[in-house]
Amino acid sequence: MSAIDDLRQTFFEESAEGLEAIDSGLAELNESAASDDTVNAVFRAIHSIKGGAGVFGFSGLVDFAHVFETVLDQIRHGKLSPSQQAVEVLQKANDTLSDLVAMARAGEATPANFDADSRAALSQLIGGEGGGKEGIAEDFADIDFQPVRAEDTASEPLLFRYTVAYRATQSQFDGKFEQVVRALRATGRVDLRVETSAVPALDEFDAAKAYIECAGTIECESQLDDLRGVITAIDSSGCWSIAAADAASLPDIAAASPALVPAMEGAVPADAAALAAAVKATPPSNEQREAAGGKHSATTIRVDLEKIDRVVNMVGELVISQTMLGQLLQNMHGGGTDTRLSQVLDDVFLHTRELKNSVMSMRAQPVRSVFQRMSRLVRELSVKTGKRARLEMVGEATEVDKTVIERLSDPLTHIIRNSMDHGIEAPERRREVGKPEEGTIKLLADQRSSRIVIEISDDGAGIDPDRVIKKARDNGLIPQEGHLSEDEVNSLIFLPGFSTASGISEISGRGVGMDVVRRNVQELGGRISLKSALGKGMTIQLALPLTLAVMDGMIVKAATETYVMPISSIVECIRPSASEFHALLGTRGALRLRGAIVPTVYLAELFNLSPSSGLTDESTVIIIETSEGVRLGIVVDQLCGHQQVVIKSIEENYGAVPGIAGATILGDGHVAFILDAERLGGFAKNSDFTGASAGVLQPAVVN
Amino acid sequence: MPNPATLKVLVVDDQFSVRQMTRLALEKIGVRLIHEAENGQEALFKALAQPLDLIISDFNMPEMDGIGLLRAVRGHQAIRKVPFILITGRGDRELVVKAAQAGVNNYVVKPFDEATLRQKMEAVLGRLQ
Repeated sequence: MSAIDDLRQTFFEESAEGLEAIDSGLAELNESAASDDTVNAVFRAIHSIKGGAGVFGFSGLVDFAHVFETVLDQIRHGKLSPSQQAVEVLQKANDTLSDLVAMARAGEATPANFDADSRAALSQLIGGEGGGKEGIAEDFADIDFQPVRAEDTASEPLLFRYTVAYRATQSQFDGKFEQVVRALRATGRVDLRVETSAVPALDEFDAAKAYIECAGTIECESQLDDLRGVITAIDSSGCWSIAAADAASLPDIAAASPALVPAMEGAVPADAAALAAAVKATPPSNEQREAAGGKHSATTIRVDLEKIDRVVNMVGELVISQTMLGQLLQNMHGGGTDTRLSQVLDDVFLHTRELKNSVMSMRAQPVRSVFQRMSRLVRELSVKTGKRARLEMVGEATEVDKTVIERLSDPLTHIIRNSMDHGIEAPERRREVGKPEEGTIKLLADQRSSRIVIEISDDGAGIDPDRVIKKARDNGLIPQEGHLSEDEVNSLIFLPGFSTASGISEISGRGVGMDVVRRNVQELGGRISLKSALGKGMTIQLALPLTLAVMDGMIVKAATETYVMPISSIVECIRPSASEFHALLGTRGALRLRGAIVPTVYLAELFNLSPSSGLTDESTVIIIETSEGVRLGIVVDQLCGHQQVVIKSIEENYGAVPGIAGATILGDGHVAFILDAERLGGFAKNSDFTGASAGVLQPAVVN
Repeated sequence: MPNPATLKVLVVDDQFSVRQMTRLALEKIGVRLIHEAENGQEALFKALAQPLDLIISDFNMPEMDGIGLLRAVRGHQAIRKVPFILITGRGDRELVVKAAQAGVNNYVVKPFDEATLRQKMEAVLGRLQ
């Protein structure tokens, strides 16, 4: 790939960011919550896409962006008011713009008149201006430019006078003072005096506090705003103030050289003088200058995702090696008697953990990008279905692993299609039942402990349990007789081959059911659940893991096997007394925990490792809680400790095993299974559960 | 006759891709000392930190836009003589007029190749070696 291809790729990435900025800006405009800044940001984003497209030779894109930008410019200058109708046109224009960008990215030719409708609508907004290509001039040869070095022959420059004051705030010893003074001195003559009266006596002196103030004048050709710009570009903390000088009240500017601190008058306490000297200090070296300048340069860089993934993998390997090291140390000293060595190792653990968290945060991105794609979907579906709906987003700044984000789009699209197609009612119907004509679909993202919860809710018709049951019976999914609980009815929706839509519609009936959505979510290590209220709407909740690579686990033993329980699911670990524990039939038991009864299972029996031998002295009950709030006690034979483990997928290499989320390599080199707390929690609810009848748990033994 | 290899040029654009394309064009012309800034404020800071022979700046940027930068540069005793070329898009006539009034020395319209850029630079700096 040539350098230019790389840059072209970068341009498309920048454009994607720009399109998002336009989208969110227009959404704000729509809610009339937009400030001038918003309009400016939208304008800038379009302009940047236009500029970049020009550089890379996408002329169709330039032409359309130009019309789009012209409209925004009119809004920016108050010549056009952003009415709801106008914003709708703009939103459609943004859709067109994203399509054009996508086509340019894919290298596809744009169909003739592809953007004609949108372009015409835009032109109409501004009374037909700028609609044609003829509006775009290429040459401005008729404009006179300033010849270079014209100033050399210019007349005596006009000098302005300003008063300037500096009041240091706490911890203002960052070297910016000197930078500002130097920048001001570059503009003209600066006379600053240090005010030391605020410096207290030595016994009251607090070295962490700033006492120095400066005041003085500047004589230069610059405008006030320019000087302000210079100061805030360097120091935006507000320590500096500058104003036009009232000539009458000005003291004579010292004829002396514009030294930084020309005079130290009166009896200055020795320490204050030292402090002042520190402020005066030696001019920063070039390196310092560069470093300070760096603060103003780019705060973000683009890194190839592959490079980050390589780091993620290396951190994973590091975690394994480090665990092995810990294990070796323990074996060598029979329990780690060398405290210094183990202390250092503890430090290494700590640093690895931080390294892991930093790398993970690099991969994390706000869910906003996916959410915003959904707002376009809702708009388009509104048109197609003739229903009215708006999308509300909450917590779109929540950060999730990039892989999760990428794979979130399909399930969300499907769920929202379902909501628009089956959930939200037609406007007339909504009016009949006393709802606002415009339906609401709400997208919520939130981080709850180590999981990301995404909720999609609508205020539509909800799920009709009778229809669901009838449908399931018709399809032979459930027996004709028998009562189903609400949860059971809802879970029918996720069965393969289930669809309540009476006819296959264009919107959601594409042969993809909720079972695929559920599989998508499960592949991400997530859970999906559904709540519905007939006539009021429904909520689908996705609970997704924060990261896909490394996690904190509790190492436990059941019979001869070692397992890992994710720490995030563990509420507490207890050793119950015999009186608190009640054995029940089969693998089950019940634990009395502070007045509440928690169902418990024997892990060894769950996986058919050994028959239950009851509680031993070593037995520990791990109380886990699922994202739905279900609690379950799991009896293990031994707790072996807490460890960071690298998740290796079983599904990719072997196939899905219920109750097992993945595998990992332990410090001693053995492979251990990572337990799936969500699934195990499900067993607690399943009244019919035994290892056999559940039919899902196979002996999970590793050789 | 300025030698491009000794020219110190500051390229200002908030878009990384456009900045790099400008850098590539400059490198083809033979310019070796290329500094970059993402917005007007950063550019002003860099311009004050070192002597520059030319500023090539985009107009449309957050923080401080190209015109703001141009005005700040022209208002500054130390750097007001630094030649300034504005990068504009097609059809930004009003902007070029405004920039001309604020004292811009020339403009270059996106997209531009190194021949166009060279021609504009020569118009401002004199024939390049």
